Amino acid sequence: MSADILLRSVRLASGLVLLAFVTGHLCNLMLGLHSLAAMEAARPWLMGPWRSAPGLALLAGAALVHIALGITAIVRRRSLALSRTDAVQLALGLLTPPLLLEHAVVMHLAGEVTPDFHAAFGQMLAVYWSFSPRYAFQQLAVVMVVWMHGAIGLYSWLVLKPVWRRIGGLVLPLLFAVPILALLGFAEAGKEVLERLAGDPAWRAQIVENLNKVARVTRTYEGLRANLLMGYGALLLGAFACLGWKILRQRLRRVRVDYDGGLSAQARVGLSLLEFSRLNHIAHAHVCSGRARCGTCRVRVEAGAAQLSPAAELEQRTLERVGAAAGERLACQARVLGAGVQVTRVLPAFADASAARAPQDWSPA
Amino acid sequence: MNGMAGSSVELLAGAKARIASLGVDLARAPQEALAAYDATRAALMTGAGVRGVTYFAILLFVGIAVEWFYWTYAYSPLRAVQAARPDSPLEALRLGLRRFALLLCGMLLFTIAAISTSAAFAWPAGVHETVVAAALLLLALRLSWAAISIVLAPGRAPFRLVPVEPARARWLAAVGIAAAALLALGQFVPAALERALGAPHVAGALRFGAFSAALLALLIGAFALFGRSESRDPAARMRAPLFPRSFVLGLLVAAVYAVWLLDPRAAGVTAVAAVVLALLLGLRAIVYFYWGGDGDGQGALPAIVLSLARFVVVLAGIGAALLALGTPLATLAETVNPWVRIGLRLLGVAVLALLAHGVWIATRSVIDQRLVRIGPIDPHHPPDASSRLVTLLPLLRVSTAVVLLVLLLLSSLWALGIEVTPLLAGAGVVGLALGFGAQALVRDVIAGVFYLAEDAFRVGEYIESGTTIKGTVERITLRSVALRHHNGPLHFVPYGSLGTVRNTSRDWVIDKFNLPLPIEVESEKIRKMIKKIGEEMKADADIGPLIMEPLKGKLYRIDPGVKVFRCKFRSPPGKQFDVRASALKRIEAALKAMGVQFADGRTVVVTGPAG
Repeated sequence: MSADILLRSVRLASGLVLLAFVTGHLCNLMLGLHSLAAMEAARPWLMGPWRSAPGLALLAGAALVHIALGITAIVRRRSLALSRTDAVQLALGLLTPPLLLEHAVVMHLAGEVTPDFHAAFGQMLAVYWSFSPRYAFQQLAVVMVVWMHGAIGLYSWLVLKPVWRRIGGLVLPLLFAVPILALLGFAEAGKEVLERLAGDPAWRAQIVENLNKVARVTRTYEGLRANLLMGYGALLLGAFACLGWKILRQRLRRVRVDYDGGLSAQARVGLSLLEFSRLNHIAHAHVCSGRARCGTCRVRVEAGAAQLSPAAELEQRTLERVGAAAGERLACQARVLGAGVQVTRVLPAFADASAARAPQDWSPA
Repeated sequence: MNGMAGSSVELLAGAKARIASLGVDLARAPQEALAAYDATRAALMTGAGVRGVTYFAILLFVGIAVEWFYWTYAYSPLRAVQAARPDSPLEALRLGLRRFALLLCGMLLFTIAAISTSAAFAWPAGVHETVVAAALLLLALRLSWAAISIVLAPGRAPFRLVPVEPARARWLAAVGIAAAALLALGQFVPAALERALGAPHVAGALRFGAFSAALLALLIGAFALFGRSESRDPAARMRAPLFPRSFVLGLLVAAVYAVWLLDPRAAGVTAVAAVVLALLLGLRAIVYFYWGGDGDGQGALPAIVLSLARFVVVLAGIGAALLALGTPLATLAETVNPWVRIGLRLLGVAVLALLAHGVWIATRSVIDQRLVRIGPIDPHHPPDASSRLVTLLPLLRVSTAVVLLVLLLLSSLWALGIEVTPLLAGAGVVGLALGFGAQALVRDVIAGVFYLAEDAFRVGEYIESGTTIKGTVERITLRSVALRHHNGPLHFVPYGSLGTVRNTSRDWVIDKFNLPLPIEVESEKIRKMIKKIGEEMKADADIGPLIMEPLKGKLYRIDPGVKVFRCKFRSPPGKQFDVRASALKRIEAALKAMGVQFADGRTVVVTGPAG
């Protein structure tokens, strides 16, 4: 198995782990629609596993791996020819770590200092709704950002699978029902918490005391957080600088690629054929946004096959799966290394995910 | 006049007050903004604030969910539209409209889903309006973005819907989107600020700032980008510049801004008027871009479309202006403001003129096109089916123009509020008087109508009138017909004195001629000879097509010493002379070959034998 395939699988697996965690968390919030007590009751089942040592390790590992792979992907890019969905997902993904850092660390520290604190959903909600609404806004932003990022990722992976035809009707509504219901649960539980705060001074006093304890600890963490954020920022800056350097260095080495229908595209040497199409507004199907998954971007190479980067294992597998003829390449993987390349797009630009699910239906006559 | 002066003074006073209030807005805005910010912050940092933001997040999710679901269906069609390669501007327009419809549907779904879900929540006081305003602002931004990028299609020349140089499309699009965003901002945000926060000065200042920035963007667009052509295309450079379009555009933008500054209520109408004027300025170029083909616009289509488009633009403008005024038509008609009344009447006249212009252009171009297609008719060649059109179309054109002009004149007077009935009655009396005086004229015209309706003659036909005037019809007017005698003189015959018309150019003619031969010839032999010549002529390549019934001859009369044979044939009108000449030539040759001479007029006196 080549490194590319391994990386892709790890990225997918880590993403799925994170999505599973977020889903469990949101499902727990959903129970707020019933009552605070229900939230507390379900907590050990939905959140408990992630609190255990292996759970925590898996979660932290998945998060770190996913972030690292995301940054690597930026470094490995050659241009900014992103589809709109891709750009949104990238931006959301980059926003997540700084937004989530505080929540994760504070929750962890709070759990260490005040054993009864993390056991109580109510106390946390009281903090959000009454003592420090700033955290609530941060959490709302995180829910939106993380869930949209995850939803786009899950959707664009699953929609290419043949199984989507059976589960799609269920998964797509769920992708939106989960966050909407969770936020409704959050709002309802908030109302309940505010009522209880007003009518139960003892509980209020207990929360204040816990908050003071946590505040003492988190002061030491402020410095750590700043450092971590700085490090993350530097990493991102480095990644984008790397990308920018690549673009700048190659900016004058432009070549032409000829397409079917008398079209032609000009772009930097080393870009993939799909990037040539996107940068020149040539309509080109690419359902998976250039991840070598869907096979809809494949082209027949009419001339200059030697001027294209050789097909890696990742590409060959997909080509084989979609039943590509000899002499066909994935435009998202074949990089242009010199002039004289001439290609014909095999599928029409409006080919959708069904072309990846059932390639035999879309094979041109 | 007094009323006008009064309302002008009123207007100026209003403008003065308005400028003064703007100054107050700008002076007080910073302080008020700080207070509003603090108040907002304080309101947000409570349970109610968290609830509001949570609900807002839910709305976003609902909107995104509905639009995502829509795009799972609509994305492929959108890609197909984007992938198409339009080969003409019209095709591009069709694709652009389809693309806009697809995008619009998604945006509307998002907005409707978000706004209607918002009704389900118990919002903190004043937040609901803000949320709805935010949804509408988002819709406005997306809508203008989509519209401008479809119209200008930066980077995709074949999709461009307006004749703009490629290098400028991108900048124009950027400027247009910026201006649209600023306008939307100035439209939605201040109102929400005023309602939710009670900060009228901030709202006023923000409105002023946003509209001023939009003015700047539009001015840049008009002067810097729309301005003098930098095109390298010699065809475009060599064309004489006729009108300083960009300057007028800039002026229009500035005028709308000035009106808004002085009296915001009038800004809507002025903006509509400015847009209408700008469209009218650019309409010609746009219409010829779509329908003009090579840009010469020879055909009638661009002219018709242009006048129709002008009409539609003005009508839509009037509708939009009424909407912007917010006054129902009924109250508008009863208004006492003299400016408004005059304006309304002039508008009415403009609509009528446009309507008449449209009908005139349509009629004229259809007729002209038809005439051009038929081509010039040579009056000395036999007429065909189209000659009737050539006869009637110019007459129709003139009469249409006269009728339209009279109608337009009368209805404009009516629209201006001048009573037309007495005028018509007066015209009736005068008409009566004239009618007695010009009896002959009337008789000619009416007779002419019937001659033409009955298709008695057409241009190019040879006719003989009852008054023995004959000639080829060269020209037909409302009153008379011009006949060219075959010797040259041109007769102008009024229809009234044309009388019986003998049209010798219709369908066919029969020609007969006599052949006197000596009494000794054998009749049967001659008959056969003539028949044979007739068959030969029918088979002849040159003369054959002119013969409808071949030449035949028979013994007709026997005079002392002479046998007269009568020959006849049938041919198309005007061809009988050629055919007859050819027949006589052949008969002469045949007789010579047979050794027969024509009967001569000499009388042979036979005397007794000498001696």
